[in-house]
Amino acid sequence: MASLAEIASAAPTNAGASARRRFLIARLLSYAALIVAVILVLFPVYWMLATSLKLPRDILRVPSLWPSRFSLANFEKLLADGQFLLSIRNSFIVASTVTVISVIISSFAAYSMVRFRYRFRGVIGRLILFAYLTPGSLLFIPLSIVMAQLKLGNSLQGLILVYLTFSLPLSTWLLQGYFRGVPRELEEQGMIDGLTRFGALLRITLPLSAPGLAAVAIFTFTGAWNELLFALVLTTSESVRTAPLALNYLITSDVLPWGPLMAGAAISSVPLMILYFVAQRFMVAGMTEGSVKG
Amino acid sequence: MTVSTQDSTPRRRFGGGFKLKLFAYALVAPVVLLILGLVAYPFFFAIWVSFTDMVIGSTGNFIGFKNFEYLAGTATFWAAIRNTIVIVLVSDVLKLVIGLGLALLVHQNLPGRGIFRSFLMLPWAMPAFVAFLTWRVLYQPIGGGINLILNQTGLYAGTVDWLGTRTTAMASVIIASVWRGFPFWFISILAALQSVPKELYEAAIVDGANTWQRFWNVTIPSILPVIIVTTLLSSIWTANGFEHVWLLTAGGPSDATMVFPVLAYFGMQTQRIGEAAAVSVYMLPVLAILVIFATSLMMRREE
Repeated sequence: MASLAEIASAAPTNAGASARRRFLIARLLSYAALIVAVILVLFPVYWMLATSLKLPRDILRVPSLWPSRFSLANFEKLLADGQFLLSIRNSFIVASTVTVISVIISSFAAYSMVRFRYRFRGVIGRLILFAYLTPGSLLFIPLSIVMAQLKLGNSLQGLILVYLTFSLPLSTWLLQGYFRGVPRELEEQGMIDGLTRFGALLRITLPLSAPGLAAVAIFTFTGAWNELLFALVLTTSESVRTAPLALNYLITSDVLPWGPLMAGAAISSVPLMILYFVAQRFMVAGMTEGSVKG
Repeated sequence: MTVSTQDSTPRRRFGGGFKLKLFAYALVAPVVLLILGLVAYPFFFAIWVSFTDMVIGSTGNFIGFKNFEYLAGTATFWAAIRNTIVIVLVSDVLKLVIGLGLALLVHQNLPGRGIFRSFLMLPWAMPAFVAFLTWRVLYQPIGGGINLILNQTGLYAGTVDWLGTRTTAMASVIIASVWRGFPFWFISILAALQSVPKELYEAAIVDGANTWQRFWNVTIPSILPVIIVTTLLSSIWTANGFEHVWLLTAGGPSDATMVFPVLAYFGMQTQRIGEAAAVSVYMLPVLAILVIFATSLMMRREE
């Protein structure tokens, strides 16, 4: 393997001490590079939190790496009129509903495509993948017209329906991979024991694919939680704004309120950070299997 | 039209052919119908709209290629083409180099590699809108973190308006989107490295290959399929990305960072829907090639 440590350790010198030294130097360099990378990754996260905790007037007047005075004033200002909390609530409603709908009907579809052979299976597989790769930047214009015609514009229901455009293809694609890993013999055994085929899906395949379902649920929730473009185009009134939209409108107002903005950013990250730390293992597996943007 | 369970031996006890077929189609139907209604229909509708003079509140008339001709006559359109190409190419290369480099480092048998991996994936776990809003604050000329660090370390004493200056805006957008996007490459390549069979390396050592030869002749060919799929997906997503440009610069200053999705959104805001749709449709030929290529690779990998 072309690791730095091995370049050192595999060097064909027979002087043990020299090889040892080169090994240590390679180790040291590896750690140094990784630590630099981690600092670069963490700095923006730190900056977001630090800015949110500064006194509002200090942000511009006393620029500093470390908040000179800690304060929750930005959070109070952000939450004062209840509008941001409402948008967090809207985000939760939309993201959870999309997740539930998506996981249920995608697992049916994925199961059908993995366990049965039928005429249009290949076509459907391709359709799902095309749908996954069809960008929102192409769909937002026609979808806003369609939603207006359906009288679903400017509503959470409309957003939920539109978010299925990216969550269904991804969920179905990922779940196919997980279901392939469930041995069909287990289902057959269950059916000999009296389960129907649908019962075998519910009682055997789904429970055995729990890590996959968890990963798919998290990806779907994340995708819906993060979405900005559709929300921007489809909603007009404040009462149906989601969290990214609420923050977007903070920066388009005349004065740029950095403190409250970073407070809102920090609050919006919390649900995803929790999901990420609880379920990192599933997510990494799902991401590498299905190529997920996240 | 025959239905059977997937292995070759027919399994009669799973029910009759017709019932089974009906069951299979019933299970897949909701997803197929929703995708046809919410993706396929809007997709073709967008193409139709791009050939009309539709504005908000009217159905529009067919006007041929007028929208496309009009767009091709504007400087903003050409800026969007150039900028989209620059963003995709430069950020793909940076994400590949950073992702591959870090994956190779973490792939070593280092104590603590799990912690590094978790931290390095952090930008990917952050919501994109949070990441780009944070970078916008970092780039502020006064009170922003970047200038502050440059000033305090003595690297540069002046005040740069990173996002408001034509010469720095594009680089700033690219850096922020690489920061947010490299973990996807990092983790994909890391997984690919971990799945290279050990025997290949052992055989190469027996053949007398040195470390570089093993890297070029074993590691790279083994992870190349993953790198190709990652490049295709990342290019599709970056070319169609809206948040990074919208939240950082909204395409400015004076179109220095204008890209297709933002241009289409502006078209939509000015209520000229036909024109806005034409912006998206202009991207379609290149996008279609990438998507078809990616689809066939992903289908093959799946089989």
